[in-house]
Amino acid sequence: MSTTATHRTSSRQSSYGAARRYDQFLHATTVRTPNITDDAFVGNTMGNNGGEGGDAIGEEDPRYTEFKENFARSEARLAALFDPRRSVQAPSRPDDDKREAGAEVTMMDASQPTIAPPRKAARTIDEDDYGDDDDDEDDDLGTASPLQSKGAGAARIVNGTTPQGLLVPSLPKRPSNDRRSTASSTEQLKSPGDMRKKLEEDKKAAEEAARKSFHTLFYTLESDRDAMLEQQKLDDLDRQVESEMLGQPTSNTSAAAVAGPQQGTLSSANLGASSLTLKHLIARIDAKRHMVNASDAQLRNLMSEVRKNRSKWASEDKVNQEELYESCEKVLMELKAMTEHAAPFLQRVNKREAPDYYNVIKHPMDIGTMLKKLKQLQYKSKKEFVDDLNLIWANCLKYNVDPQHFLRKKALYMRKETEKLVPLIPELVVRDRAEVEAEERRMQNGDLEGVEDSDDEEPIMASRGRKAPAKKGKKPPSTARKAPGARLEGTPGTESKPQLPSIRGSTSTLSNEFFRADSDAPMEGSQNGLATPPPGTLTPLGRHGIFSSGAHGSQADVSEVDGTGDSVSGVTTSQAEDLDLDDIEFRTWKQVTKKDRATVAAERNRLFRNNRLNAEEPALLRTKAGMRRWLRQRNQATDESKAEGQAPAKDGREGVQSTRGETLAEGIEKEEERNLPDYYDPLSAIPDLDDRLKWVEDADRQVIYQAEEFLRMIPKGQFTAPESSLTRKMDANMRQMQETRKVCAKIGIVKQMQLQSQMYQNQFQKYDPQPFREADVEPLVVSDDGPVMSQWVCRGALQRSVGKIFYHAGFEEFQPSALDAITDIAGSFFKNLVQTLGVYSDTPKIKAEQTTAIGEKAALKPRFTAEEAILHSLHENGVDLEALESYVKDDVDRLGSKLTVMHDRMRSHLAELLRPALNTDAGADGVGAFNDGSEQFVGGDFAEDIDEDFFGFKELGLDKEFGLASLSVPFHLLQNRMHNAYRAQNTSATETSGVIFEPPPPYEPVTVENISSQIGLVQPFFLRKLHANGDLPLIEDEELPPKQRFPRPRLPPSGKITSPRKRPQKELQQMAKKKRKLDDGTAKDDSATPNVGKLKPIGKLRLEMPQKEGSQPEPEKDDGSAVGMISPESISAAA
Amino acid sequence: MDLSPHQPQDDTILQSDCDGQPEDDDFSESKEFTEHISQMMFVSGETGEPSPETTTLIEQIVQQQVQEMLRECTALATRRGSRSISTDDLMMLIRHDKAKVSRLRHFLQWKDVRKNLKDQEDSGKGGGAEVPDLGGDDIPGVGATGQGESAKKVSKRAKVDLPWDVQSYYGEQVPARDDEEDEEEEEMNYATLQRLKMADERTKDMTREEYVHWSDCRQASFTFRKGKRFREWAGFGIITESKPNDDIIDILGFLTFEIVQTLTEEALKVKNAEDLYKKETGGAESQTRKRKREGGLFDPPEEAREPVQPSHVREAYRRLQQSSNKSKAMSAFSRAMPRKALKFVSRRKTLNV
Repeated sequence: MSTTATHRTSSRQSSYGAARRYDQFLHATTVRTPNITDDAFVGNTMGNNGGEGGDAIGEEDPRYTEFKENFARSEARLAALFDPRRSVQAPSRPDDDKREAGAEVTMMDASQPTIAPPRKAARTIDEDDYGDDDDDEDDDLGTASPLQSKGAGAARIVNGTTPQGLLVPSLPKRPSNDRRSTASSTEQLKSPGDMRKKLEEDKKAAEEAARKSFHTLFYTLESDRDAMLEQQKLDDLDRQVESEMLGQPTSNTSAAAVAGPQQGTLSSANLGASSLTLKHLIARIDAKRHMVNASDAQLRNLMSEVRKNRSKWASEDKVNQEELYESCEKVLMELKAMTEHAAPFLQRVNKREAPDYYNVIKHPMDIGTMLKKLKQLQYKSKKEFVDDLNLIWANCLKYNVDPQHFLRKKALYMRKETEKLVPLIPELVVRDRAEVEAEERRMQNGDLEGVEDSDDEEPIMASRGRKAPAKKGKKPPSTARKAPGARLEGTPGTESKPQLPSIRGSTSTLSNEFFRADSDAPMEGSQNGLATPPPGTLTPLGRHGIFSSGAHGSQADVSEVDGTGDSVSGVTTSQAEDLDLDDIEFRTWKQVTKKDRATVAAERNRLFRNNRLNAEEPALLRTKAGMRRWLRQRNQATDESKAEGQAPAKDGREGVQSTRGETLAEGIEKEEERNLPDYYDPLSAIPDLDDRLKWVEDADRQVIYQAEEFLRMIPKGQFTAPESSLTRKMDANMRQMQETRKVCAKIGIVKQMQLQSQMYQNQFQKYDPQPFREADVEPLVVSDDGPVMSQWVCRGALQRSVGKIFYHAGFEEFQPSALDAITDIAGSFFKNLVQTLGVYSDTPKIKAEQTTAIGEKAALKPRFTAEEAILHSLHENGVDLEALESYVKDDVDRLGSKLTVMHDRMRSHLAELLRPALNTDAGADGVGAFNDGSEQFVGGDFAEDIDEDFFGFKELGLDKEFGLASLSVPFHLLQNRMHNAYRAQNTSATETSGVIFEPPPPYEPVTVENISSQIGLVQPFFLRKLHANGDLPLIEDEELPPKQRFPRPRLPPSGKITSPRKRPQKELQQMAKKKRKLDDGTAKDDSATPNVGKLKPIGKLRLEMPQKEGSQPEPEKDDGSAVGMISPESISAAA
Repeated sequence: MDLSPHQPQDDTILQSDCDGQPEDDDFSESKEFTEHISQMMFVSGETGEPSPETTTLIEQIVQQQVQEMLRECTALATRRGSRSISTDDLMMLIRHDKAKVSRLRHFLQWKDVRKNLKDQEDSGKGGGAEVPDLGGDDIPGVGATGQGESAKKVSKRAKVDLPWDVQSYYGEQVPARDDEEDEEEEEMNYATLQRLKMADERTKDMTREEYVHWSDCRQASFTFRKGKRFREWAGFGIITESKPNDDIIDILGFLTFEIVQTLTEEALKVKNAEDLYKKETGGAESQTRKRKREGGLFDPPEEAREPVQPSHVREAYRRLQQSSNKSKAMSAFSRAMPRKALKFVSRRKTLNV
């Protein structure tokens, strides 16, 4: 009996979220349970198990052995890997996501043996008549149970029904119930348990179904953002709660520090009583204390080692707290996670948002507050918790009276969900262990019923009301808010009970529990200080006490739950508002994947800042875990059809992992299980690795460089004009032009030499054009096929071609802008051409004319053949073959011949220029060319005497060009010096030949003697001149020495000859005239005719005319004669 | 001077033009053009008497063409930086019609030759009285081959170079050599032969009087001896400067004649095609009428019966205005509408073959 009890209590921790595929296995263990305990208890267990009986499958169970083998195999590998996990496993476990459970089962397996040894040691201590049972139990605990040591029993009960691990129907497992409960109470308890089970199953089934379909449907990412925001809200809430909790810690930590020893002393004082898990074991040990060959300290050490995995809610001195709070927290989390609807209820209503809220709602409540309360351990029973939950929804419905209000809908939805979830909370009342123990003791001691009842009621009352601890009178407030007070109280407790601090160190795993339960600790300490029950009497006492109170509490709670459930459902149905907007699958999808999606979305969101990529963010890297998951999902997807009919043990993720987990990464990284399809993690999708990218080493450990295989050189000539007859012709034309230009330059030089009087060596730059050569690009390596997409290089090549065409068209040089413009036009033209070609070649195919068979699909052929397409597109762009041909014919071929002719002409012209002697009048043998009086140069060696290239002919290459044997220069090229002589000779020659009349004899110079022969008019003039000349004969201008000669008057456009030397005189006269005229104008002002007055205003304009005309007349013209009829001013001036 | 005697008005115009005293009568002038146009059409193969509507239409077309040409020339000259148009601008407009360009160059050369000759003769003895007359004769379309032979010996003809020719590629101008035979002249010769052949075809069945009339009609010109009238008509002074080069007027005269000829030939083709079509399809309905008409002893000859109608001219004009895809090429795949420029009437390639 006691062993069973121990077993039962140790199963306090159920296997949260055991995967479905493990049902079978768990089932086996369940089946074994009655085998172990083989007594009346069997019936009870079986009843809870739904009649699942059967005996003695034992060691022969194939699945059992299989598991053992599996376990043995994986043990060695995993034990090392999960070392750190062993310690944190238990506390973290309740918090673990339900989906993680499946993965963790293996870890449980691994951790199992490590827990087992101390237990075995403990067992070996008492070798007694319980041996059989103990051994069985040992087997059961140590090997058969894959779950935690403390969770085996629970797993048996709940097997497979609580895969989500949401709730543990631990109520039936309570020792008191197990042992003492009547049939009726069992029945009572069964109904909520079944209900819970059923609910769980339903939910589980729905989720499984939904999850199965996850990869069959593609869900858009649009709800991710909402999920992210909601998740952020949740996190905020958590943080807020945490911080509010941490607000106290400043005071609480000290409390904990003080309380710690207290707890230690407590647990060491009554080790059995404090350890809920091992209560029965301890009881037995106590019972057989005389047979145990170990000191108390040793025992305690062993105990503390065994007791490792506790939930955070676990408390040494609170009965039922762990179970109740576990489930409550689960429910709260579940509700909180329905962010779509739960969002408005997460936090207190802000007064700013709803100013009158607190007028309407007197008792506000929200999930955050509830979480806080939960953490502060303020709930004493399920009812309190459920009341608070319902209070939230009721508040909302109360405040938002408008039936159409969207919050109402949410509240209703949440209430519905609450309704679903509430039955999963076990009917438990949190009680002080000391109290319970005291009860038990009293029961055992046969105390009065009345006392017992009165004692019983207190905790029940306490569990219902929040002031229960205060009511007990031992401590005024037990809530965390009163922690300082508690600490004050607790401190003396510590002093009074400084027992066995060594235990405290060994129970380090409990430290966090201490911390969490610190508010209770002082109270406990004081309580325990008051009553330290003897270990020996502990167990029987506990049975009684717990039984009565538990039975009572559970009854009450069940009824209440039913009541509230009814009311809730009643309200829900009466409201009859449509809450389900989405289909179940989508909703499940949303709920199941919410957290993961939110995480992913948050990660994505982090990458951006202000709608820009955030460069500060760490790079996205694929993780091994992600890749493994992807691989597994892919395998799963591919194997799904095959695996359909396989054994359920092989089915599912775990099977896949165990059988196909060949990847190296397996188990190296922490597996973070996600329920998201592949497309949420594109990074981890594994593309096929290119063989060429492989890291291959040869024999010498040198890496084989494989790049050569896929890199390729750009073939030559990609950017040069292809060799063709057309390009050859064009090149020939251009060469011809260059040659002709050379000749042209020489002609220009020769002509210049004829004109210029002075010549410089560097005056004429030699025209030496470079031949055209198209340079290809440097050798270039590319990694891809296809043309080189290098815009600028291509443009450069086109530009060069355009430039060549320019040159070919006769432009020796051109503006870069013109070149650019033409290049652009050509580029866009070719683009159009190619685009047209694309259009033509992309036209839909047509049916081929001849179809072979009727049944066959009619063969399709392109609408246009390649030729047709090209011709069409050429035509569309205004080019036809004739035009192209005529271009080649006219602009290339004919141009070539023209250029040749031109070249010949140039050459002959140059030859003429250089040797005019050979021209016309030189005679057949050219002898006549030397008749120009240049006989002295016939030898032509004067330049050689100087021994230099006097005229630069050698430099110009003229000597070679014309085969000049020597640099003897024909006379006519020496014009710059010999010009005058040559001209004179020539003119005289022509004169002698051509002039018929003799030139008149020169005039006699005017002298003083013959002045009288001149006409009288000019005599005074000449006299004056003679006088100035000193009475010497006057010399004609032409006969003056050149330097004294007056410059010849130039003929202005007007044709009137003006002489500069006379101008000053003239101007003076003009000035004088003007002055006179002005005087006249003022003098004649009054006597002037109106006509003259009228003319005055435009006088300014006219004033310039006479000036010009006055300056223009011939110098000989007298002022008086010139006056004439030029302008009215001059007339008036003359008058 | 050697204008046909049945054009008395011409003489008066000639007189007035020679005197430099314009006494243009609008009515007579417009009648003048229609007269000339019908003469040109006659030369181009139209045997019937075209209606005034037809000639007016043709005149409008020609006027439009000439004005557009002048406009383009002015634009080109402006681009060149010159305010007055030159023959090169006009040549540029018709540069693609190699035969025409070649013929014009030929004409300009000989005109130059004649001018030089005349100068020489003026200074020397006045021997070549008939040469200036032939200058006018050459414009409408018939080359003065006969007189050229003698002139060639007298003076070296100066080649008219086009600015886009090879010689402009180089910095130095080189005197031409006599022995070079221009290849374009071959093409011109081919075109001339074609033209002469066509003229021969047309005149082959003519009587002596008819031929005299025909050759008279060949003298018809828009410009000859009515320069002022033509200048007004073509928009000189409005579109471009009012004092055009003499060569330009001559070139325009030649081009207008060509336009009329091309239009007429095209219109005749249209008409023939129409007749053929009518004969093939509409024969049934008009059978009775035709039969009635058939065999009339005193019917006029068939060609003379139906002159070219304005609709034919319009169709011909439409055909000649059809632009090639070349003008649209650059606006393909874009939303830009191709600019519809007036196309200068020129013989299509197919016509030459």
